Amino acid sequence: MSEVKQNTYWKSLNELAKNQEYQKFVEREFPENATELTDGFSRRGFLAIMGSAVLLASCDFARRPVQKILPYSKQPEDIVPGNPLFYASAMPFQGSLTGLVVENHEGRPTKVEGNEMHPASKGGTSIFHQASVLGMYDPDRSKKVLRKGTDSTTDDFIAFANEHFSDTNKRIAFISEASSSPTLSGLKTEALRKFRNASWVTYEPFGESNALEGTQKAFGRRVRAHYDFSKANVFVSLNDDVLNGTHPNSVEYGKQLSAARKVTSTSHSMNRIYAVENGYSVTGSYADHRLRLKASEIEAFAHALAAALSSRVSGLSAFSGHTNQFSSHEWISVLADELTANQGASAVSASHAHSPNAHAVVAAINTALGNDGKTVHYLAVPHLDEESTSAFANTVQEMKSGNIDTVVLFGTNPVFTAQNHDFESALSNVEEVIHLSDYVDETSQKASWHINRAFYLEAWGDGHSFGGIRSVIQPQIQPLYNGLSDIEVLNIIVNGSMTSGYELVQNTFKGIYGSGFKSKWIDLLHDGVDTNSGFAKVNVSLSGNFRPDTSRDNAISGMEVVVKADSTLYDGRFANIAWLQELPDPMTKITWDNVALMSATTAKQLGVENEDVVEITSNGKTVKIAAWIQPGHADNSITLTVGYGREGIGRVANRYIDYTTGGVDTYPLAGNELFAEATVSKTGDTYEIACVQDHHSLEGRDMYRAATLKEYQSNPDYASFKYVHTYPVPGMKEAAEKGEDVPISLFDEQTFPDSEPQWGMAIDLNSCFGCGVCVIACQSENNIPVIGKKEVKRGREMHWIRTDRYYVGEDANEPMTAHQPVPCMQCELAPCEQVCPVAATTHSADGMNQMTYNRCIGTRYCANNCPYKVRRFNFFNFPKEFLSTGAEPDIIQMAMNPEVTVRFRGVMEKCTYCVQRVNRAKIEAKIETGSPKPADGAVKTACQQACPADAIYFGDLTDKNSEVAKMKRNERNYQMLEELNTRPRTSYIAKLRNPNPALA
Amino acid sequence: MSKYDYVPEPALVKGNHDFASLTRLVTDINLRPTPKGWYLAMIGANALLGILGISVGYLIWEGTGIWGLNNPVGWGWAIINFVWWVGIGHAGTLISAVLFLFRQDWRTAINRFAEAMTIFAVMCAGVFPAIHVGRIWAIYWVFPVPNQMDMWPNFNSPLLWDVFAVSTYFTVSLLFWYVGLVPDLATIRDRATSKIRKIAYGIFSLGWIGSNRHWWNYEKAYMVLAGLATPLVLSVHTIVSFDFAVSLIPGWHTTIFPPYFVAGAIFSGFAMVLTLMIVARKIYGMKDIMTDDHMEKMNIVIMVTGSMVGFAYMMEFFIAWYSGVEYEQAIFILRATGPYAWAYWAMMTCNVLSPQFFWIKKLRRSVGFTFFISIVVNIGMWFERMVITVTSLANDYLPSSWDYYSPTIWDVLTYVGTFGLFFTMFLLFLRFLPMIALAEVKMVIPQADPHNYDEETQEYHAPKIEVPTPKPVEA
Repeated sequence: MSEVKQNTYWKSLNELAKNQEYQKFVEREFPENATELTDGFSRRGFLAIMGSAVLLASCDFARRPVQKILPYSKQPEDIVPGNPLFYASAMPFQGSLTGLVVENHEGRPTKVEGNEMHPASKGGTSIFHQASVLGMYDPDRSKKVLRKGTDSTTDDFIAFANEHFSDTNKRIAFISEASSSPTLSGLKTEALRKFRNASWVTYEPFGESNALEGTQKAFGRRVRAHYDFSKANVFVSLNDDVLNGTHPNSVEYGKQLSAARKVTSTSHSMNRIYAVENGYSVTGSYADHRLRLKASEIEAFAHALAAALSSRVSGLSAFSGHTNQFSSHEWISVLADELTANQGASAVSASHAHSPNAHAVVAAINTALGNDGKTVHYLAVPHLDEESTSAFANTVQEMKSGNIDTVVLFGTNPVFTAQNHDFESALSNVEEVIHLSDYVDETSQKASWHINRAFYLEAWGDGHSFGGIRSVIQPQIQPLYNGLSDIEVLNIIVNGSMTSGYELVQNTFKGIYGSGFKSKWIDLLHDGVDTNSGFAKVNVSLSGNFRPDTSRDNAISGMEVVVKADSTLYDGRFANIAWLQELPDPMTKITWDNVALMSATTAKQLGVENEDVVEITSNGKTVKIAAWIQPGHADNSITLTVGYGREGIGRVANRYIDYTTGGVDTYPLAGNELFAEATVSKTGDTYEIACVQDHHSLEGRDMYRAATLKEYQSNPDYASFKYVHTYPVPGMKEAAEKGEDVPISLFDEQTFPDSEPQWGMAIDLNSCFGCGVCVIACQSENNIPVIGKKEVKRGREMHWIRTDRYYVGEDANEPMTAHQPVPCMQCELAPCEQVCPVAATTHSADGMNQMTYNRCIGTRYCANNCPYKVRRFNFFNFPKEFLSTGAEPDIIQMAMNPEVTVRFRGVMEKCTYCVQRVNRAKIEAKIETGSPKPADGAVKTACQQACPADAIYFGDLTDKNSEVAKMKRNERNYQMLEELNTRPRTSYIAKLRNPNPALA
Repeated sequence: MSKYDYVPEPALVKGNHDFASLTRLVTDINLRPTPKGWYLAMIGANALLGILGISVGYLIWEGTGIWGLNNPVGWGWAIINFVWWVGIGHAGTLISAVLFLFRQDWRTAINRFAEAMTIFAVMCAGVFPAIHVGRIWAIYWVFPVPNQMDMWPNFNSPLLWDVFAVSTYFTVSLLFWYVGLVPDLATIRDRATSKIRKIAYGIFSLGWIGSNRHWWNYEKAYMVLAGLATPLVLSVHTIVSFDFAVSLIPGWHTTIFPPYFVAGAIFSGFAMVLTLMIVARKIYGMKDIMTDDHMEKMNIVIMVTGSMVGFAYMMEFFIAWYSGVEYEQAIFILRATGPYAWAYWAMMTCNVLSPQFFWIKKLRRSVGFTFFISIVVNIGMWFERMVITVTSLANDYLPSSWDYYSPTIWDVLTYVGTFGLFFTMFLLFLRFLPMIALAEVKMVIPQADPHNYDEETQEYHAPKIEVPTPKPVEA
């Protein structure tokens, strides 16, 4: 215990000395009435630093276990200063682990990458994984144990726990967020054995409870539906946004769905996706066909679909003869035919938020279609036993009735997320509330004990992926603020003493591996994954007494309000991570706020426009929030997302006195059901929204090229300039006369020697679904600053890669979506280079358009002359402003990548193709082979590595067999704005859609 | 003899002035005690100059972020103001150099005045490229300063050409102005009574004694500088237009820009000269020298250049359509109908419509109307630069990047502040230097042609000039 207790993270010599003055300073760190809270200007300054930093003074980073500190008089094995080390780990999210590899610079993790050895995620990640680095270095994270709001220590808590839990008859309610940790599971069993009157419930506001109850209803067993979309020709999503990072298995599903849409020749086929949904989801934007229905109508749609299928396949007799308002809908017969034709190769899924009945119907359909064991696997997931909305409701009821003495909460924040259960008032009837959490959040503020939690990068842990692959969570650093992990706290409660997480996890795996532990453990740590693991697959069959609840055909006739997890903040747990706040929502492109999404028709009915504040009342609760028109949204339906409007969490998450930032808490409208009846009215107020994209139409321009699979098969060159414009690229004819294969140019062209690698990128628009993980990965890799809502509103976003989103189609209510990631095109004839008066941007021999920050004087002429508008200007000196806010600069500085310069104000910056990675690979290749050309795949850009859809190809164009060279030879490859003769090195692989002729 | 009747030019100086009265009229302004009004004006101008100082100081302290610039629109008011001021600076050199070479004697009444305006306008213009950069402390890198890294500026960049063009123009204009000033400075020196004046004017008049040799040198130098300055009239705004024309942004990338910019510059420059002249001649009682005839001639120039600018606007549209380039077509349609349509139509009204009133003789000779139009034209020309700079950037190739640009208070204050610089300089000029090119005006008054010999009739007779009743000249 003692080794953890000491403050191992020292910021200055004074702190080491622990003098009184310093103690006072620490107390003052975040004074209650910090003036900056009301001051938008310094707030921006603070936000800036969440992504940027000054002087990466190395001495400030020294973090070593206190008892093992040694000078580098002998160099420790594996550590070469300046060379990062990579360790496998995994991040838990909604109880599922995603395999990661963490880049570690001199003892501090700076970047997470997907673990390519992980069989499920295969190297992909979501925005939440990428942003977790900043989450750990968040200076607003809770730094100490609090006893009824005043400072305390871990030792005090242990002493308290020893005394308090000595009475094993205590009526204890353990409430945990979803966790697949076998160690936690073991301790949980111990705890429930020891405390006879204890109960354990898992609570997730957007958890799987309904899905599990659905399978209970259909099969008589709580099992998890785990899809294998790689085997599905047809996928029907009922409001199920499987591709969005908010889905616990988005990465694996993203890999599968996009892989089934990889088309590299006309002979390839691709899957077909149907989306039935109320809002416009990421999955809906990826679908070939999309039907907008109110969320309350979706179950009726599922019933109608099942009824239509009942006459085509066996096993759905419970639905035969059932009719409702959708029975004669065009989609029903088309989908029924399509699914019937793809029995065993189709998949139907429903959002976890839908009712158990909806999940039961979906399960029945999948079973009847013979999809079980092929595209859908049902898994017995032991840790999900406690996840139940009704059990949680019971617990809250017990608390209210005074039948609970002690509540122990692990991570979850029900005071904020379970407002429909009125959890806050239930807490007041409880004697002791122990809350372990990352922030002093809403629940912590009501708890009698708050324990600061160790981040997953700081503490040992374990768990399973969504499909059951086992991993160990390896810490990368000692806990910055001496936090404790879930298992350590539970162990204290159960055993009364501190045992390190390392021991606890090892003990679990000793139990699992038995005698082979030693070698298997090392392999597990090295690979980060135990591929010989997985949840047990269960054979299921439809219960004989299964009957759909057809009363649920009745949709809400008036206006419905649908409360969903936020695409960038999830349930609010990521609200203080500035990268995520500033990440544009994949569909709306809104940053920093939540809005009430509605269709243009509904907005017209309500007489509102974007940014008009509406008052939404449902179940007696009222929320005022800005309206936003989402083309393609269902009419008479309003979608809200949660996680905003926080108070007392941190400087990024909090809403501010002037209510111009921070969004609105919409949890009061979240009921027990996904949707609820609501009345909506215009208030007459407006609220500014910072949206990074003002214009949503392509204006008939050709930067995004798409065709159907059929069209591609008959016109393979549909994406070529000539096909699109009917005439060849200007300058080609003249070039042909001179025997050249690129258009003629006025300028002397730089030659790019074949002795150097020639870097190029291809982005497959058919794979990209616009999730935005590339943006966060790039931000993390390249020290890109966060600038705050005000600056985003002024159009100064700094992201080096952005995902443009256009709406395509004639009808504003039924648009298709085009996602297009746009990094620097690295033009060979770069317009930016011609116009810089001081030659600050020039070309390298390996074909990269380079930006020399030191030379830049900031005329912004290059950005003006960039037809792709990818250059980003440092309008302010973010680092300096940060230093004046009095926060702890050194903590956030630790999140910076030391291989990338932190830019000063007044200089231009832009995508570099991750030149630091490229050059490291070139140096290594030169040492090993004598040639500066790394093997194909040896260097991956941050965006490419993170992409769950494998949409980005990067490599050496002189290597004709490289993946990128192959993609660029594909007939669907095209250059954006080719007629300008900028000769971009980044090109696009044109989009394909696979519509059903019956619905065309 | 001739089949046409000889219609003599109206007298360039009215009021039957002789040399002495002209000298008094012009130089008394510099020699008499400073009037209170001047101080009041100077206080106003200095307040504005202070605003410029504060705006620039805050800009350098805080960064270009204090302006309204954003991602697609990297250039805003700073560049608009730069081009606008440089444009205004065109009238002076045109009047003094080009009209000199064409022997347009009417220029003498206004050339000093116009040249001063030119120099001060170019000074105001020069402020903007210097301060609009992100790192002003490294601005000297745009000059080809030899250095140990052998690092030169990029000679391909139009911004670099700008540096040379504007600094050359400023230097030549200043020299030209100064050379013209020398005889007049000597006149003031000779009339000055205070010691400081005698010394100061004595130094700057370079020992001028009006000898034949001095006059010979002076006229040669003046001729040479006029010859040098003439191409600069065309080159400066041509090169300023290259900042836009050489780029590949729709609405910028067009070959019509050089002549169109030069015409626009003369247009706005003449308007500015008129604005200042109408006020100054009223205050300083210079109506005999800066006559309504001058005003009318300048109005005709405004009408012609305004029509040229209008023609250029239409040609831009035509070429955009004729080129078949969709981005080019889109930007012109967007200018007229898009988010900045208000600016576009303000520009069209001010620049194309308003000068057409000068077809009517009565209006071109109306002082009030001319003053009004001269202001309108300068507003219009400011909007022209705004339409060009902002709309093209705001709505270029990728619709995803389109954004709306609006200025902040600091953009406005910086612009307003340059008027402080301009008027401060101008007031100093009015106070300490002869606002009329005295020596040159004296050459063109009727009294300078005393022989009364008509070459056509080979007869001596009094010139057919209607001379109004002489008025006593106030001392």
